[in-house]
Amino acid sequence: MRPLRATWARARNLFRNQKLERQIEDELAAHVDLHISDNLRSGMSPAEARRSALLKLGGIEQTKENYRETAGFPTVESVAQDLRFALRMLRKSPGLATVAILTLALGIGANTAIFTVFYGVLLRPLPFPKPEQMVQLHEVNDRGGQPNFSDPNFEDVQAKNHSLQAIAEYNLGPEVISVGDVSFRPITSAVSRDFPRVMGVQPMLGRGFSPEEQHFNAAPVAIVSYSFWKQILGGSQDLSSFHLKIGGRPAAVVGIMPPGFRFPGNADLWVPREIYERYPSRTAHNWQVIARLADGIDIARARPDLSTIARSLKQQYGQDTSMTDVAIESLHSAMTGNVRLGLVVLLIASVFFLLIACSNVVNLMLAQAAARQQELSIRAALGAGAGRLLRQFVTESLVLSLIGGAFGVAAAFWGLTGLLRLAPATLPRLEEVSINVPVLLFSFGIVVLIAVAVGMGCAWKSLSVSPENALNEGSRLQGAAPRRQMALRVMIAVQLVTVMVLLVGAGLMGRSLVRVLSVDPGFTVGNALTMELDLPNDVNPARRVQLLNELFTRLRSLPGVEQVGGGRLLPLFSGSRADGSFVVMNPGQISPRMRDLIQRSLEGSLDSDPVLLKEFSDFFEELFRDREHMGDADYRVVSQGYFETLRIPVLKGRLFEDRDTPDSQSVAVISDSLAQQKWPDHDPLGQTIEFGNMDGDPRLLMVVGVVGDVRESSLEAAPRPVIYVDYRQRPQTVSEFSFVIRNSGVPVPVFSAAREIVRDLDPRLVPRFNSLAHIYSGSLDARRFSLTLVAIFSAAALLLAMAGIYGVNAYSVAQRTGEIGVRTALGASASEIMTMILKQAVFTALAAIIVGILASAALTRLSQSLLFEVSPVDPVTFSAVTIFLLFAVVLASWLPARRATRIDPMIALRYQ
Amino acid sequence: MGDHDKQDVWQGTLALMVLKTLHALGPLHGYGIARRIEQTSGDLLSVNYGTLYPALLKLEQDGYISSEWGISENNRKARFYKLTRTGRRRLEKETRDWEQTTAILARFLNPEEGRS
Repeated sequence: MRPLRATWARARNLFRNQKLERQIEDELAAHVDLHISDNLRSGMSPAEARRSALLKLGGIEQTKENYRETAGFPTVESVAQDLRFALRMLRKSPGLATVAILTLALGIGANTAIFTVFYGVLLRPLPFPKPEQMVQLHEVNDRGGQPNFSDPNFEDVQAKNHSLQAIAEYNLGPEVISVGDVSFRPITSAVSRDFPRVMGVQPMLGRGFSPEEQHFNAAPVAIVSYSFWKQILGGSQDLSSFHLKIGGRPAAVVGIMPPGFRFPGNADLWVPREIYERYPSRTAHNWQVIARLADGIDIARARPDLSTIARSLKQQYGQDTSMTDVAIESLHSAMTGNVRLGLVVLLIASVFFLLIACSNVVNLMLAQAAARQQELSIRAALGAGAGRLLRQFVTESLVLSLIGGAFGVAAAFWGLTGLLRLAPATLPRLEEVSINVPVLLFSFGIVVLIAVAVGMGCAWKSLSVSPENALNEGSRLQGAAPRRQMALRVMIAVQLVTVMVLLVGAGLMGRSLVRVLSVDPGFTVGNALTMELDLPNDVNPARRVQLLNELFTRLRSLPGVEQVGGGRLLPLFSGSRADGSFVVMNPGQISPRMRDLIQRSLEGSLDSDPVLLKEFSDFFEELFRDREHMGDADYRVVSQGYFETLRIPVLKGRLFEDRDTPDSQSVAVISDSLAQQKWPDHDPLGQTIEFGNMDGDPRLLMVVGVVGDVRESSLEAAPRPVIYVDYRQRPQTVSEFSFVIRNSGVPVPVFSAAREIVRDLDPRLVPRFNSLAHIYSGSLDARRFSLTLVAIFSAAALLLAMAGIYGVNAYSVAQRTGEIGVRTALGASASEIMTMILKQAVFTALAAIIVGILASAALTRLSQSLLFEVSPVDPVTFSAVTIFLLFAVVLASWLPARRATRIDPMIALRYQ
Repeated sequence: MGDHDKQDVWQGTLALMVLKTLHALGPLHGYGIARRIEQTSGDLLSVNYGTLYPALLKLEQDGYISSEWGISENNRKARFYKLTRTGRRRLEKETRDWEQTTAILARFLNPEEGRS
């Protein structure tokens, strides 16, 4: 209790300075007075009496000082003193403070941002109970591939394993869900019976699926995510009030998952897997599998157990199963494995970045400390221990570091939100990346570390000058130690090399982007809307043709609409491509017997007769062996008006017209590159092509037109040979369709009108709207994102290097004050002084640039895949970066150089 | 050991002497306490009076003594210290401890007495 009482008394005294002072003064005055009286009484003279009393007391100031120390918190008080001093120092040189703070903000901000991503993606445990027990399983085939599981294999692993406490299969994908009469397309996941046991998470409202609901063809029921429940269903507690329809079938909502649960892959809706059919083939790899290890079992123990099962299944079923082993991996690793290396590299790079920032700040502070050498030496002479001076430096750098850190974290927060919006969706666990407590602790830790490191660096460097030398000012004339100067310049040169490499990279990528933008896509973007539809499975091909015909008619009649065309896929839209091999043949090659077989194959009656089927497939196999008449091409199902709407030029012949119906001759339009490739010397029109393997229709296609090439998959890949067919003649593969609507007026009236038309024709259809312009720019997203990242990094590195150059030059000028003073006194003009300083800076820069050019040339050659039609040693980029860098170096050295010219020789020399 | 520890030991001893003085003489001002300590120690101790004041402050912080402003024999304002009940208990305990320590040490330093 005693120490507490004393502490409390001391704490109170922190704020009672004046009262305390008065008290002790009065008390000591009284003491001295009493002593003097005694002395007088024993016969001393007044002067002697006073002197003796004071001597015996031991020095009033000393006593007061000791008293004060006992009274308050000496540590706290001297720290407060240090802080006041530090702030005063910063106010005295605001330019330096600003540069130092910005440098630290950059370093801390970059580290915070990268660590946030690192933590959210890699370090943070998955939001499930005992996440270390959760694993993802794949089949392994004899080629080493890891396909998904088939139903029978899954069931066997489930039944025979000894190492898992629960295992479940699932798949996921967007599904059309209607609530009332509004339709949505949330990610829906079909999950098997033990899914809740594997995940370890129960619905927070309602219940899980019951056994009656988990069998084939049961009425669908759904469990819904928290956000879907709140935002779309309205959040009512009465689950029976929701009228949900999944793919047109009414489904009851039986449970709501807790907030934040959206496994797998941002799912919003879960249905029992069992209501869908079971696929008996062991090679139908339809399901992803997740499991929870039994308590006390780890992956190493589970692996042999599962491998045994795979091997026994292979032995039992032979060719019927392609699974030879089971691959097991922790769920965390499965979700984040592909980005782990990249993130680690990024983190290391940012730490490196921070180190450079810190050393730059040390130089900046040293530039200031050099001017304060005298003050520091006096303090040392007056008895300030090395520890006290160190504390002073650390306090100063702590103030800088805290302010810089605050800015840095704010910049990281702001920058991160922007960057994440741009980031490709392939970054896993993106939703878990946020600036939270661990990240802030990390940043704060860095701030403190920096403060201590910088402070110690400064203290060490300035204390190495002994007090006598500094007080004599002898060192001023000597100038800075040449070795130390050299070391600093080398450090600057290294930073400049890094900046150069980054700038060259950014420059090359920028030029690549410009080149990509100038690529002719083969169609006109302009002012065109797109509308995408999924056609439900139960719509047969004939009905599809009807539906699309009707849609086209109605869309074309809308006011303001100029042209409407469409196809199963649009150019530049990332999606599955349909391509395959075709054969050029003339109708004469098909015998009447073959024609009959083709007819029967269309009707579907060929499948029952294996002999005929063999004859049929043998005939085509024979054809495909003929190299000269064979070819590869993309297969595109489009509509009449497709080419006109997209403004794809027609080079020969005609396009699809009204006369191309399901009953007339099947026709095709081919792309120019295909025409050049297959028929370089003669006219392709009238040639017939067999491309039946794309949709099962073996009827020959007659080429009626040739159109210009289009960049189908991306602007950067070369245009591929394409065979276009009309959907009216080949509707079999049209499970989705995209319309392109070119209109003259404002797009909004067309949106709502089109939506009405679609809903009117079939309320199950959910149109998704977009624009050609958006699709076009979307294809550039990945490239733009990389460019942004590299540009940000190079800008940051450049700023850092410039701050470093400023610091080193300021320090050098401060050290050479005496020398410059002498030169000025001897008649050197301002411009001569400036040239002297700048020359040194430029020489360092030139050396760095030469190394930088070599380094860049080597590195860019390695990353050629990132460039597009730009040479990795593009002279324009290299020379532009060189000039820019020289300019930046001169700019950064300008201020210190100017300050050098202002050195008054009288003042400089007076300190001789 | 070092200077710091010596200082602690000295401060402890000084504190004990202050408490004893106040116990014997009643309320007294700083100068009086210093004078009395010097006298009692038979002038063996010759220290700066200034060292007393931090010690008095610490004793007051710990609650062993209390202070009050009064009038000194010079008709001047002076601060008078007096022992508190806690202080008296502390004094008794410290005295006992010192006597015990002295006794133990005596046996060590004069081993012949132990043997006989």
